[in-house]
Formats: sequence, structure tokens, C-alpha cells
Amino acid sequence: MRNVARTPTIVALVGSVLGLVFAGYSTTDYMQHLDRQLHAIHCSFIPGMPAVSDAENPCRAAMYSAWSAMFRETWWGGVPISLFALGVYAFFAAFALALLVGGLKNSRRAYQFFGVTSLGPLVVSVVMALISAIKLGSFCKTCVGLYVASILLAVGALWALNAVRKLHLLVPTGGWPEGYLETGHPVWIGAWLGAMGLCVLLPSLLYVKSLPDYRSKLASCGKLNEPNDTAKAMVKLSTAHPKRSVTLLVDPLCPTCKALHERLDAEGIVENLDISMLLFPLDNTCNWMIDRALHPGSCVLSRAVLCTDPRSREALEWMYANQDELTRLGKSGEPLLRAKVRDRFGPEVDSCIDSKPTRLRLNNALQYAVSNHVPVSTPQLYLGDLRVCDEDTDLGMRYTFGQLAPEVLR
Amino acid sequence: MKLQTHAIVGAVAGAALVTAVSVTVRTEVRAAATRLDNPNATPTAAVADHAEEPYCTPAFKQVLQRVLNACGLVGTESRRGCQPADVKNLASISDEDFNALFLPLSKRGAIILFDEGSEKLDAGAKKLIDERWLDRRGARYFFIVARGSKTGTVDKNRALSHKRANSVLFQVSEVTKDPALEKQVGMLWLGKEFAQLPKQFCEWPTSRENKDCDEQAINRSAFVSWVDCRL
Repeated sequence: MRNVARTPTIVALVGSVLGLVFAGYSTTDYMQHLDRQLHAIHCSFIPGMPAVSDAENPCRAAMYSAWSAMFRETWWGGVPISLFALGVYAFFAAFALALLVGGLKNSRRAYQFFGVTSLGPLVVSVVMALISAIKLGSFCKTCVGLYVASILLAVGALWALNAVRKLHLLVPTGGWPEGYLETGHPVWIGAWLGAMGLCVLLPSLLYVKSLPDYRSKLASCGKLNEPNDTAKAMVKLSTAHPKRSVTLLVDPLCPTCKALHERLDAEGIVENLDISMLLFPLDNTCNWMIDRALHPGSCVLSRAVLCTDPRSREALEWMYANQDELTRLGKSGEPLLRAKVRDRFGPEVDSCIDSKPTRLRLNNALQYAVSNHVPVSTPQLYLGDLRVCDEDTDLGMRYTFGQLAPEVLR
Repeated sequence: MKLQTHAIVGAVAGAALVTAVSVTVRTEVRAAATRLDNPNATPTAAVADHAEEPYCTPAFKQVLQRVLNACGLVGTESRRGCQPADVKNLASISDEDFNALFLPLSKRGAIILFDEGSEKLDAGAKKLIDERWLDRRGARYFFIVARGSKTGTVDKNRALSHKRANSVLFQVSEVTKDPALEKQVGMLWLGKEFAQLPKQFCEWPTSRENKDCDEQAINRSAFVSWVDCRL
């Protein structure tokens, strides 16, 4: 008897294997970063392509985001969602293989179970795709690979279920031979669910069991030697429930500063911080510490942020939201950038940008950085006078705040 | 409920996959833990520092260092400023060479002019001091090099030069209100015995741009400038 479920099951198997591959890349990249160093990460639709080390790619943004892992307050970096996916796809790959080998000797309950549970990864993919679109504003190629895998799996499993259901309605003369498309005992559902749970839990338990203790690493990135802002160079960012003082060194045109701000926001931390912002433009028109403008125009924008005080948060968030356009305008020359700022904040801010007090305040901010011997890089986050290491502001953010300032997580 | 071949295939495949995943996870996480304890040397970011302009030659910095050490800005000495005799000794260079060191500061600095025998700052002087003080950029030290006069006794000129340096310092302190000011300002007061300015310094920005300037006038002065050198 022809196995009508063969082709759809192969589709589901291919989806499962693809899921295994993409979840594998994603999990491996995540585990690499558990050493708190920077590594290249895989970001391609094509499995096997080499990892890339550019700082700004959607896969890195997704990995650093608040949605990439669970239990991040309990363990440094949490448990990556891709690790759960790895277990799930391992289960579905094995299940699809069993269906393929067994053909119509599998019970109908097996196909029903396969069809229904295959919707799980699809639902998760839809949710993650929405988060990517709405919260991250970009799609990571490895994640898209996982979305495609979940679609193939669900399509194949439902197609197989439908094919078997239709076939079963066509009862041959003399009925179905023994051992073909039997109903199947309900206890198998429990067994399969148990197996799926084992596939998911075992790697996850080994993962958390193998994690090192990160607590001693959290306060190892230096501190502000002279934290008092006697020159009043910093700007207060207004927040709803300021519970803990932090100093934030930022450049309005720095993409990683924007990403940090978004992570703090996504974690619900930003509203609980009492933020003193130190503007540190990586633009040599005002910053003598660099020999070329990494972010042309950021001196102008930094002065604009100072000029909008006490609405500086609004200004900064507008600059982050329009960072691509402002970066392009900054490279085109100051007049175009100024026109954009003038359109948004009006002529008063525009004239304030050139004023001596504003220039002096920005210069004092840079001198504050010198007095405290901070690294020439952005962003930098200081809890009180203690510098939070860069890796503790992305993968380890929630764990770090949980350890050093738990009140901001509540 | 009997176990069929395909079920065994599925169970074996599943077990193999989960075992492979688990072993890989454990190996990778442990490897990361090892790297965590033995991190690779990574390039460190530069540390924020003051500006270092091309005029900061070794000779210039040597004089600067000696002045700073001897005049109380560096270290724990409590004295403020340097007297002419000190300068002559510590600089260990001729008058001309001493003045030449400051030539690269012709745009960055300015010369505050005084009336004869007076240490009072006029409106133009105060404005110019304010402007120069606020134009700090990446500089670490602000220098005041006061002079007395080419005429009169040595003692009288030393005293007058000292008063002029203080007048400038007081004006700066009015502008900044910074309690740490004394760690930023280096003062020299020169008498007529050392490093008198030739007339060509009249071409520098002065506080009396529209008034006659000669060799007498340019030495009734205080030179002020931020110095963009690291030490």
C-alpha cells in the first residue's frame, strides 16, 4: 500500500533537521559568549557559511536582546531559547524519522500528535518574528532560518496528518489489515510528551549545571576615581521611579549606545534608574581624544542634547530613533544636520548649540572623562562609581543588575 | 501495545541526537568557563587623556615639567607659583630660548597688558582672560607668565610681576569658581632680569588691540594660555 504520508513526512523531517542546524548555530554562538569575550557569530540563511565578526548585525542584536534567553536573572546570560529549540527539533527529527520508517504502520494517533505538536514551534516562531519586527526592528537570518524550519515542520506534519486522515476514510474491502493505521493507545501521547520534555530538559540542565560562577567578574572593570561632577557637565535623564544612581557615557550617533538604551528599556530597568548622562561624542571636531570622526556630527547633536535640558531624554531618544538618518546627514555636512535639529527642536536650540556655555559644558564633560581615566569608547555604564563591564550590559545585564542593584528589577 | 521497528528507530535516533546535543552543550560551556578563567589578551581601548599638540616638543615639555614641579602644581608642595630666580635656574635655558618655547602658542594664548606700575585689569583684559580660560579644549594646564617692566629696580619689578600674575588668577577664579583651580593654573612671575619680550610679541593677540605697543608696553604684561601637552 502506497505511503501517502511519505512526502509530507520528508518535508517535516527536512524542517526538523534545518531547525536543528539553525538552533545549533544560534546556541553555539551563545555558548561561545559565555566567556564574556566578543566572538564572531553565524548570521546567514545558508547553513555552513562562516561566522561574521561585525559589531552591528541583526543576529548579534537578537542575541543581546531581552528575548533571546530565559532565567536571565538567575544565571549569567540565562538559558538561550535556541537551546530549547535544539531539544525540540531533535525530538521532531527523531519522530519524523520513525514516521518515515514506519509509514502506514504508525498509528493515526502518532500522526495526530505530530500534526498538533508541530504547531508549537510555529507559534513560537510567529511570536519571535513579531518581537523582531516590533521590538528589534530587524530580522536575524539565523532566526529566519528557524522560522522557515518551523513552517516546513508544521506544513509537513499537518499535510501528513491530513493525508493519513483521508486515506483512513477510504476503507478497503475487508477492512484495514492488522497493524496499518491503527488508532493507537492514548498512553503513547504521554510517552511522546515525556520524551519531548526529556529532549528539551536534559541539554538545558547540563547547560546550567556547567555554567561557571560569574559573581567575582561583575565588579572587575574599574571605577570612577573622581565621580563628583563639580563642573555640572552631566545631564539628568528623567525617569519614572529613580531608585539607583547610574552614570551613562553615550554618543547620540553610536549604535551600541542606542542598543544599550533599548535593552535597558526592554528590561524595564531604565525607569528605575537615576541617570546622569555624560555626553562623549566620538567626533574629533570637539573631542581631542580621537584623531578622526567616528561619528561625524555627534558633537553638534551632543550640544543639542545639552540645550534641551531638562528634556534631554526626549532629545536623546529622538536621536536614537532617527540615528540612521542623522548619521547620514552628519556625514553630508553640518548644515544639513543642523537643519534637521532645527526642524525638530526649533531655532532656540539651534542657536544654543553654538553658544559658549554649551560648548564649555560639553568640554567639561570630556574633561570629566579625562579626570576619571575612562576608556575612549561608548557606551559605558557606571552603577554609582563602579563600571559595569560591557558584557554585563548585554548578555549578562539582568543577572548583573540582579546581583548589584536588584531594586531596579522590581 | 507492542514496540515496532520504527518506534525503536525513533527512540534510538532521538536518544542519539539528544546525547550529541547534551555532550556538545556541556563541552562548549566548559570550554567557555576555561576561557573565562584564562582570557585571551584583547586590545584595550585608549584611556581618556588630555590633548597633545605638535608644539609639545621634548624641550617644551622639559621646561613645562620643571615649572610644574617647582611651582606647586605637581606633587604635594604647597607653594604657589615661581619667582624669577627660580625660573632662571629651573628652566636652564637662555631668555631667547625660553620665549621661543611659547611661540607656537601665538594663536592659543594672549597677552594681557597693564598700565605702568599697575596690576589692575581693564575691561579688555578681563574679557580676554575670560575668553581664553573658557577655550580650554583638551588642555590640562593654564599658564600665566607675568612680567614687571624693563625699567625700575629688580625687587620692585618682581613684586609687581607677582601682583599681575595674581590679578589674572583672581579673574580666572571669578569665572570658574572651581575649587580645584589651583591644580590647573601654573604661574610664573618674571622680573626684568629674565626673558623679557621683544617687540614682535606686540603682534600677538593682546588686551589692548587698538593701542600703541612697544617693547616697554609688551613687558608690562601677563601671558596667558592653555597648554595642550601631556606630562
